[in-house]
Amino acid sequence: MPKKLTWLTLVALAGLGLGACKILPTPSAQSEGSAPAFNPDKMVEDIWAAKVIPYLRQKAGPFAEVHALAKTDPAAAGAKYGNPKKQANSPWTFAVRVEGKIVAANTQSRAATMDIDVDGDGKADARVQVGPAMRGTALRDSLDFVQFNDFTNQIDFAQFGKAFNAYADKTVLSKLPREALEGRSAKVLGAYTIEGGQDLPLVTPAEAEIGPKP
Amino acid sequence: MTLTRRMTLAAFAGVLALGTAAPAFAADLIAIITPSHDNPFFKAEAVGAEAKAKELGYEALVLVHDDDANKQSELIDTAIGRGAKAIILDNAGADATVAAVQKAKDAGIPSFLIDREINATGVAVAQIVSNNYQGAQLGAQEFVKLMGEKGNFVELVGKESDTNAGIRSKGYHDVIDDYPDLKMVAQQSANWSQTEAYSKMESILQANPDIKGVISGNDTMAMGAYAALAAANRKDVIVVGFDGSNDVRDSITSSGIKATVLQPAYAQAQMAVEQANDFIKNKKSPEKEKQLMDCVLVNGDNAKKLETFALKN
Repeated sequence: MPKKLTWLTLVALAGLGLGACKILPTPSAQSEGSAPAFNPDKMVEDIWAAKVIPYLRQKAGPFAEVHALAKTDPAAAGAKYGNPKKQANSPWTFAVRVEGKIVAANTQSRAATMDIDVDGDGKADARVQVGPAMRGTALRDSLDFVQFNDFTNQIDFAQFGKAFNAYADKTVLSKLPREALEGRSAKVLGAYTIEGGQDLPLVTPAEAEIGPKP
Repeated sequence: MTLTRRMTLAAFAGVLALGTAAPAFAADLIAIITPSHDNPFFKAEAVGAEAKAKELGYEALVLVHDDDANKQSELIDTAIGRGAKAIILDNAGADATVAAVQKAKDAGIPSFLIDREINATGVAVAQIVSNNYQGAQLGAQEFVKLMGEKGNFVELVGKESDTNAGIRSKGYHDVIDDYPDLKMVAQQSANWSQTEAYSKMESILQANPDIKGVISGNDTMAMGAYAALAAANRKDVIVVGFDGSNDVRDSITSSGIKATVLQPAYAQAQMAVEQANDFIKNKKSPEKEKQLMDCVLVNGDNAKKLETFALKN
């Protein structure tokens, strides 16, 4: 028995070894090719104005509507405001507009945030990240033209996600005022991911404006 | 193209010949290959996959490669030789594994990767991996919070050949490095090992008595580090791990280690076997080869619900 198996294995391997030599070049030529070095910051810069902002503007719904639908029917909210090509096991990420009044702000932490009341009841409905430290990859995950399968591995995919936050911080958030935010109006276009155990939905902005002091 | 088809046919014929030549195997065989079961995480994977394989009527061949790419290659040969219908693999290196999985594919045996990905697509049928980066961010955010955004800390890194060691470290630093008052005074690999983490932590602590926290790339190293800290009467040092093992759960509930990140190892292994079954019986591949499973933060709030790499409701 062992003898027979070994012989068969050898035959199989001999044939296959040869096959592998012939077959391999095609896929490896595609994946390696003459691809330039991976530069996530440049990739984000290149698509930001041309693709990211137009996509979010077209896809985003008002926060109150998106969040109400997300709570009652996540799949419907996902089809309308989310990325339908997301990983099956991942939570939904929605594109949203958050407009309202800043009712609280935490600018002591480097992961600074402002809490926005969108329905005028005086209570915060969403927490908007204003950097410089930012959590998550909501901007990346909201885009239906970004696929994990297009990246070599999780590290590249992760760096690409981080590059969105860095770009938003550099071009938008670092220019926002940090003092006396409470009572001022805020207008944000961004994305948030449904997560368990959150105090408030955490929105990562791609565009943000803060109104004058009241 | 013709050549490819001919080779595939040849491979297929080989497999068929094997099947008929080995009537001793009544049930179809699924090979389950993981790193050493010394780490309960890998054991949970093997147990989960084996249970699901048996439930679906397969015979299971459980093997360990001990993170040795050569040994892994031999085990793949064994799986091919035994006429396995599918291979469930937690691999021994993102680059080194590509050829081994290709070898199985050429022999007509589909591979379903779990836990660790490889640096190639189109070779394995599925790569079901934990979102290690997302998990590392959760762990690092909790660590930053526990540290009060400032202080000296130590990072224990996993085995270099394992992509997840790099991904987790990257995830940690992408969060922690945004806080300039958090200073990393030492970063060392303890190769996922509890005993190695213990001795490394002892010497790091001697050189840096003023540390406030330790962030570890996995739970076994976190256990080793915490034991060294406890032995030096430094239970005040904040320790955060990664994996969600029962050992760390018990440490969290007895106010030792502060937090970990759960990877759904058991569920992931079972999912891989289900996809393998679908492939064998219905020739159906999963919709996407690379599938990410999100991790969950485990701390004092939910540690009690943790059992064998799964959270109970």
